[in-house]
Amino acid sequence: MHSLPVSSLVSRVKISWIISGLVLVALAAAAGALVMYLLPLDLRERSPFQPLAFSHKLHAGSSAIPCLYCHRYAASAPVAGVPALADCRACHQFISPEAPEIKKLMGYWERQEPIPWVRVYWLPDHVYFPHMMHLRARLGCALCHGEVAAMQRITRSAPLKMGWCLNCHRQHKASIDCWTCHI
Amino acid sequence: MERRTFLQFSALSAAGALVSGCQSANEKLIPYLVPPDEGVTPGLANYYASSCRSCPAGCGILVRVSEGRARKIEGNPEHPVNRGKLCARGQAALQELYHPDRVAQPLKRSGPRGSGQFAKISWAEGLSLLSGQLKSLQREGKTDRLALLTPQLRGTLATLASGFMHSFGSPHHLSYELLAPDWLRAANRVSFGVGSLPWYDLAETRYLLSFGAEFVESHLSPVHYGGAFGRMRQGRDTVRGHFSYVGSRLSLTGASADRWMPARQGSEGALALGLCRLILAESLYDGKDLAAQGLAADKLLAGLAGYDLPRVSRLTGLSEQVIAEVAREFATTRPALAMAGEGVAFQSNGPESVRAIGLLNLVAGNLNRPGGVYPDLGSPQGPENSFAELLSLVGDMRQDRIALALIQGNPVHGIPPATGFQAALARVPYLVSFSSLLDDSALQADLILPDHAALESWGDLPPLAGTRQAVVGLMQPVVTPMLDTRQFPDVLLALAGELGGTLAAALPYPSFLEMLKKETLRGNAGKEADSETLWEGLLQRGGRGLGLGLGQGQGQGQQGQQGQQGQQGQQGQQGQQGQQGQQGQQGQQGQQGQQGQGFHWASGAPLPDPSEPRYAGDERSFPLHLQVYSATAFGDGRGAQLPWLQQLPDPVTTAVWDSWVEINPKTAAGLGIAFGDLVEVSSPQGSLRLPAFIYPGIRPDTVAIPLGQGQGGGGRYARGRGVNPLLLLVLSPDVGGAAPCWNATRVRLARVSAHGGLVTAGHPQGSYRSDLIGI
Repeated sequence: MHSLPVSSLVSRVKISWIISGLVLVALAAAAGALVMYLLPLDLRERSPFQPLAFSHKLHAGSSAIPCLYCHRYAASAPVAGVPALADCRACHQFISPEAPEIKKLMGYWERQEPIPWVRVYWLPDHVYFPHMMHLRARLGCALCHGEVAAMQRITRSAPLKMGWCLNCHRQHKASIDCWTCHI
Repeated sequence: MERRTFLQFSALSAAGALVSGCQSANEKLIPYLVPPDEGVTPGLANYYASSCRSCPAGCGILVRVSEGRARKIEGNPEHPVNRGKLCARGQAALQELYHPDRVAQPLKRSGPRGSGQFAKISWAEGLSLLSGQLKSLQREGKTDRLALLTPQLRGTLATLASGFMHSFGSPHHLSYELLAPDWLRAANRVSFGVGSLPWYDLAETRYLLSFGAEFVESHLSPVHYGGAFGRMRQGRDTVRGHFSYVGSRLSLTGASADRWMPARQGSEGALALGLCRLILAESLYDGKDLAAQGLAADKLLAGLAGYDLPRVSRLTGLSEQVIAEVAREFATTRPALAMAGEGVAFQSNGPESVRAIGLLNLVAGNLNRPGGVYPDLGSPQGPENSFAELLSLVGDMRQDRIALALIQGNPVHGIPPATGFQAALARVPYLVSFSSLLDDSALQADLILPDHAALESWGDLPPLAGTRQAVVGLMQPVVTPMLDTRQFPDVLLALAGELGGTLAAALPYPSFLEMLKKETLRGNAGKEADSETLWEGLLQRGGRGLGLGLGQGQGQGQQGQQGQQGQQGQQGQQGQQGQQGQQGQQGQQGQQGQQGQGFHWASGAPLPDPSEPRYAGDERSFPLHLQVYSATAFGDGRGAQLPWLQQLPDPVTTAVWDSWVEINPKTAAGLGIAFGDLVEVSSPQGSLRLPAFIYPGIRPDTVAIPLGQGQGGGGRYARGRGVNPLLLLVLSPDVGGAAPCWNATRVRLARVSAHGGLVTAGHPQGSYRSDLIGI
């Protein structure tokens, strides 16, 4: 295929068409960026599969174990904490040790390998969220985490966007200063 | 590949990248296997008070520890030396803990010496090897063939080390550091009859004259004097203190001065005496003051007759006008202060020059005055001529009178080979190292018994020349030891127990912690329970005698202390009240002691007489003076092992990860050397190749190289990086005799090529290693 000189190309296609084409492309890109910015796109999975079929419905629902029994640091630390493998094992040595999922659990213990739970609630590094302050304000866990006691597999029930945080802070007359969360 | 397939492939890979990007958004949540101990709350930090041993100053530190890991070090605000501030070397002590090349367990040499081939052994085997060596010395009745080499130790560790050597029956305990302030103690011993270091009341002075004392980066207690310098300049509403710097090279300290007096190397003492003479001749001194020191102005003036203005001007290369102006300002501005530093001391006439600067302080009436010079109470005693001990030990090793050497620290890198140390050490049949990295000394060792990192260690650290208070900082482990290491003093105690006899009787402690506790609480008459509370209180605060009340000048100090006591009382901490009371008492005792203990001219002390400096190396073949200095980041070489400090741009040159030689632009132009060229620096002792840094802040007849680099070991960050300028130094009997004249060597320069590979923050481009700069 032989190349055409630029001048002949310009002569065949009208210059105004090229210009309008470029303008259209620019407009489409700008609109796309605007849509990406405005829409609350939530690409993260809300209820991912977990390596172990742990049921909050069974533990927090039927057995009515209090949240803080396992998530023991929530009242005193920024993070709520996930129970250590040894804590799970302490009960399940005696409670239904023959169930297939419990056998899987014991397998982790025997290999001395922590369970790689998939994170469901996640905030970026530039947000400081302390559990203990929210507990001290007497907010229930379900306010953010939903009716966990009814969930077979844990599902994120809140968008965790800044507007959502601010709404709640306004309702409860908590500080909405930037430095409250972005420290 | 066809165009069509290529497009398909690229579309697929782009889609793949997008998809994997989405997937990674859900992170993993990894739980503990076993819940952490009581007192550890995930996400909440604990803070431990301890002391920093990255340099001899002994600053107080607070270490943030979360989830059982040390995360951050900052200064302890209650420590009078550093008042909550900390230098880069203190901050970087974290990396000593997490260094990837730490020796994880005892090692036994399996190849030839220096080859770095070691076999891993257990502690039981390591200790039995060492105690076997010691026992065979005892059996043969040759206990004096044991040598112990350490840096200059202070506090309980010094007691333990000297007790061990004494009870074992060996006089060969060498505590030597290249830059230790022995010279300052020795000068004060001759002039004032006390071997005490000075404490400068820098914050309160109005006129500071530093003779080569780099107090911002390395001199005595840099964090303390750096802070005090800030208060001298900006801490008072009425006055901004003046600062003149005398020295042949503008260090960071010198660059902060109002006036630079680039006196010729070795002429600083003559300058000080010339200033004295002018002050006396123009009657600018305080007669009562001089009489109280037992000196008469006319006799002094007669003694200093040789230091008239024209001669001093000729010796120093400074104009008469400048010298006279400084003399008048120095004498008439009260309070004023003159400091002597390493740049002056390590000359052939250094000891006398340092004394001359002491006399200048006396004549100007700066001794024992607010804003002047006081004796330091933190570590009043110390070695005054450890260099002579080093030379005598080298002689003993050369004549095979040492059979076993225990080495703590890194003397193989930190002692100039001109002393013959390295060659003599190679003759010692059995070497034991306690280094936590395979540094140059450990590489020579037959057995390595790795020490804990500083953050895993117990200890006490009286600060060096940074306070007038009687302070002892405590060190405590902030984390459980990460590796199978043991603390050096614990190894000594275990050996004492193993050997039995007088050693075990002299050191009957099950662990260093027990010994430390006993030594710290000595003289505390009280019950067991009380002493436990007291000990915990001391650990919580970081040591004994802390608080910022004292050392602020005379009247203020007392008030400050009382104020603080009141505050403590209000807090109602019962455990600490007793302790605080005791501290107050101690402080007051200290102050009473100080009033009797100032600097007083020793009767019969001769007038300082700095002769003309002498240099090793013929002036025609070696036309330039070499100055070696302690760089901000590396210190005497300990800092070079840590990547943060290698990456820290030197404040003057902004160079990173390398050595460099500073050359005046005039000299460089004469030799055809451009910035970054590779040059060869040669002395009668040897030659080194390193990049050139063209620097207008250095005299044309002088070049300077920082210390600390050029290690053959010391982990992946130090190994083979830069050069060690100590290899160039000459030690010759006709230059300084048995004095450490590290700045009395002449060198010559020659350009080698244009590719020095110097990386600086100022000129990152044009270098093949510009990727090293991440700032």
